[in-house]
Amino acid sequence: MIFGYLDAGSGSLILQAILGGAAGILVAFKAWRARLMGKRAGAEATTETDAPATSES
Amino acid sequence: MLRADPGSFRDPASHVVFDGQRVLRLLDERGLAAWHALAKTDFHRRATADGRLIPAELLEQPPGGAIAALEHPRVPFVSYPFEWTFSMLRDAALLQLDLLAEALAEGITIKDATPFNIQFIEGRPVFIDIGSFEEYQSGEPWIGYRQFTRQFLFPLMLRSWAGIPFQPWLRGDMEGPTAADMRHILSLGKRLRPAALMHVSLQARMEQRLSGAAIRKELATAGFSDQLILANVRKLKKLVTGLTWAHDTHGWVEYESYRHVSRDREAKADFLRKALATHRPQRVLDLGANDAYFSEVAHQSGTVAIAVDGDEPVLDAVYRRGSRVCLVISDLNNPSPAQGWAGAERPGLAERADPDLVVAYGLIHHLIYTASIPPARVLAWLAGFGCPVLIEFVAPDDEMVAKLTANKVDDELHRGRTRAEFEELVDPLFDVVAGERLGEGSRYLYSLVPH
Repeated sequence: MIFGYLDAGSGSLILQAILGGAAGILVAFKAWRARLMGKRAGAEATTETDAPATSES
Repeated sequence: MLRADPGSFRDPASHVVFDGQRVLRLLDERGLAAWHALAKTDFHRRATADGRLIPAELLEQPPGGAIAALEHPRVPFVSYPFEWTFSMLRDAALLQLDLLAEALAEGITIKDATPFNIQFIEGRPVFIDIGSFEEYQSGEPWIGYRQFTRQFLFPLMLRSWAGIPFQPWLRGDMEGPTAADMRHILSLGKRLRPAALMHVSLQARMEQRLSGAAIRKELATAGFSDQLILANVRKLKKLVTGLTWAHDTHGWVEYESYRHVSRDREAKADFLRKALATHRPQRVLDLGANDAYFSEVAHQSGTVAIAVDGDEPVLDAVYRRGSRVCLVISDLNNPSPAQGWAGAERPGLAERADPDLVVAYGLIHHLIYTASIPPARVLAWLAGFGCPVLIEFVAPDDEMVAKLTANKVDDELHRGRTRAEFEELVDPLFDVVAGERLGEGSRYLYSLVPH
């Protein structure tokens, strides 16, 4: 719902947490870490599903 | 028959249509839910009562098959941020921040942050896009933050910190400068200021690194809250308040000091008052308005007065002294065009002004001698408004014309400069209703009605 018709900009969204002060910096750090972990998990999942396909070809 | 507002279509939940002179906002289910959430707050009642929010009334029977509709009063004249002075854009920015902070305190957010949602009515900024309010969902960031920086903060920084007028930029790119643009524009010293490090340099860097990344869920899970938005808004308000523009008022002082200005002022005001009594216009367009003196005269008679001038320091001073006329910065040699989506989203100045009376005092000699517009074209342009026109004609022996032509020779000037030639050009286009000489000088007033 919040991402209605306006492109908010991902970098600007996470920056807002930092702009919110000390408590926000922790939130930004957690969100950033969660994103990195999500990306890593996604990459690993992709590698696993890609592996058989690669071996079959 | 409903007519769509050409500038209201981006938000699927809410868009404006016109039913004759009525202004209606059609809502879908989401828009209606957002309205109900807003309408029950004390914030909405308070901000509407003190004039910061445009009034809105839910219609019992919505037109055009819409789920629901609100009716708003008509905005007398719509102007755009690239036609505002520095102080106008800064007051609009502060209004945007104040409304967001007050709304958030009652669980409502504003989903965008564009000055196109604000209009100046009777000299004060008023937020007109009721469809921008919606219920705040826990963990959401402020979606309009980037837009706020591009369309409010950076244009103000351009003027305040770099001495660059923001109007040409906003007219060329209505989205406003990006953080990356600002990083290139600001000097190293300015970029090292804490506010620039955050809103400019860090935002530019993070936009580059996180382009297209989904971060919303991660922020909510990490504990993002409206308190972080409020802390950001508080700091932004302090930052915006501190942005100043130390313009000189040279033009203003110089204008006031011209002998003809004080000498002719009351005679010109009387000539205008007679035209106001004769034509009873609803909208007066004062072209080359300078300190808006004659716009004020028109406004006092109960009309909507639109003062257009290219001199920002002078119009900014007019705004700051609390004038209630509509102010527009525009170079009349190149007035605001129609632009935006399909070249129609933001109509040009002439279409928006739609005057019943045009005042062109102290103007046409500047167009003729400075901008080199042939007098015949100046008259054709004024006739094109299709309404009565008051013109001040300045003969070639006037002291101002001498100043404007100091470095020109006669061969470089167009025909139509003498009074006799000028009247020959007027004849095929207008009926002369009245004419008079200003004192013993070289200036003449004409009250003209197009054939």
